[in-house]
Amino acid sequence: MRIIALIVMGLLAFGTVGGAVAYAADPPSAVPTAGAERAGKQVNIVKTTPHMDRRESRPSSDNPGTALLFWAFAAATIGGALFVITRRNLIAAVMGMVGSFLGISAVYMMLYAGFLSVVQMLVYAGAIMVLFVFVVMILNRPEDEPVAPSGRAGQALGGIAIVYLVGRLILLLINVRPPRAETAIAAPGPITLNVPGGAPEKVEWGSVKAVGTDLFGPGLFPFEAISILLLVAVVGAIAIARPLHASDEEGTS
Amino acid sequence: MNDIFWNVGYPHYLVLAAILFLIGTVGVLVRRNALIILMSVELMLNAANMTVLIFARMWGDLSGHTFALMVIAVAAAEAAVGLAIVVAVFRGRRNVDVDRLTTLRH
Repeated sequence: MRIIALIVMGLLAFGTVGGAVAYAADPPSAVPTAGAERAGKQVNIVKTTPHMDRRESRPSSDNPGTALLFWAFAAATIGGALFVITRRNLIAAVMGMVGSFLGISAVYMMLYAGFLSVVQMLVYAGAIMVLFVFVVMILNRPEDEPVAPSGRAGQALGGIAIVYLVGRLILLLINVRPPRAETAIAAPGPITLNVPGGAPEKVEWGSVKAVGTDLFGPGLFPFEAISILLLVAVVGAIAIARPLHASDEEGTS
Repeated sequence: MNDIFWNVGYPHYLVLAAILFLIGTVGVLVRRNALIILMSVELMLNAANMTVLIFARMWGDLSGHTFALMVIAVAAAEAAVGLAIVVAVFRGRRNVDVDRLTTLRH
């Protein structure tokens, strides 16, 4: 267990250093969120329009509070995930999972996906985790050996492979640029929605109305297919989990 | 270093999702308890979902949100069936250690 924690901490450190090196070697001077431009723009905006809506006037990445919030929620997400894969106690793992989901939900909110953020909190942190807690309560057994046994060579190979993979991934992702200047990290603002049988109206990006119009328009067939899938899953779960004979249940519980 | 801390952009979010996916992968590979493996799979699904939302935001395309909603529904179905299988396995063998589930091995 300690070895896993070491591996993951090592890959985090490697990723941070590698990302910093790549960033220093190739600073994104072309995008509007670059450092020098940012300082000037921020001062200008604050001086000329101090009364304006803050989210409209100022790109979110220029806000130091946004950066601090991002790091806090990223730490919650990663910390909870590490908790899941390192804890021997199953309830502790589930609680780490809930913390990770809360962090993910907050990150969704920072991506202006408000509806998805609420759905994430309701469905994952609410429903699925309650299901996990119930199953953990049913099979309440301490683990003797939580981690699969593997030799020292296997651990070293796996660690090297993970570090290499995450390093390459980060070197690739650090150069991702938004395709258009107007979708740089600034607040998306309202979008115009073509309502069928009505006048076009402006709604907030990522709101229930915007997502719902897309869901029940082009996404109507997948939506209906999902409902059939959920029905099949419910029937299948009951069919699998139910005892084969009535006497089994008395014997086991 | 100062700039990479204060100037949070899309690469930060993408790297966060990638690290989350990797933690899920490590959990699936090294843990032996079936419940922890299911939770790690949920972590990987969430990382993929976060990537979808990041790209939806990046391209200004709302259909990514619809897709993420579908992924959440499928993940819920997967969790229900997976936990039912875990309960059924536990009922028959009194443990959920995946290294001991060797009945199908010949």
